[in-house]
Amino acid sequence: MSSEQSYTRNQIKKISLYAMLTAVCIIIGYVESLVELSFIAPGVKVGLSNSIACVLVFYGDIKGAFAVNISRILLTALLFGSPVSLCFALAGGIISLTVMALLKKCRFLSVIGVSALGGALHNVAQCAVGLVFVGRGVIFYLPVLLAFGVACGAAVGVLSKLILARIGKSEKNVR
Amino acid sequence: MKKGDIFVIAAVCILAAALAGVFFALKKDGKTVLVKVDNEVVCEYPLDTDREIVLEHNTAVIRNGEAYMREADCKNQICVKSGKISKRGECIVCLPNRVILEIK
Ligand SMILES: [Zn+2]
Repeated sequence: MSSEQSYTRNQIKKISLYAMLTAVCIIIGYVESLVELSFIAPGVKVGLSNSIACVLVFYGDIKGAFAVNISRILLTALLFGSPVSLCFALAGGIISLTVMALLKKCRFLSVIGVSALGGALHNVAQCAVGLVFVGRGVIFYLPVLLAFGVACGAAVGVLSKLILARIGKSEKNVR
Repeated sequence: MKKGDIFVIAAVCILAAALAGVFFALKKDGKTVLVKVDNEVVCEYPLDTDREIVLEHNTAVIRNGEAYMREADCKNQICVKSGKISKRGECIVCLPNRVILEIK
């Protein structure tokens, strides 16, 4: 009955945790999609679900952050999106997470600054994808996308900071 | 919150403002609107003549030198909410129907 590769207790815990976090991300993303922000630029979102990836990064679990974020993006695309929207989401998600993982080590920045830069670069990446799929005109959205991205990123950073402060108290229960 | 945070947030905002300034200075009034479906140009109309452009899934309008998407059967309606365009290079995109309006 036992399969060749059995998971340790710890691994099972992690997998369930990631699955649960992914589900939370998708729900946050869905609720956000109900708020109309297209007057700023087509298809923009605040991206509050990024606080979960952000918390995982600052918790030292970069692999987990990528796992949750990429699962979220793939599932969201399957449920509500299209191949093109998937490209936009993947570009933004991967770039912003990579930037946050790298900047985390920077002594001069807290979660808020790291998340703000992650948000700004998320939108720059999406703008670049837009240049490929839509055309040169997308470049005109860059200034507003930068400003909106940095503001939303900072907001996500504040949220992440609050979550990290809470987790800090019960670290043993999470790991 | 560290000093570095405020510094990077301010830096990005300044960069955005500078870019906006540059783009605004470079923007010129367009002459025509290009209609693309599936990345192929299907028609081109001058902006100075009011008209209605009826496509299979979308209806665009040219009025008072500006173009906008009046109707679309797409689910997200992003194109309809995109507002009006009139400057060279600006565009309105309906990704689901693969329709693009671009000012030239
Ligand atoms: Zn549309």
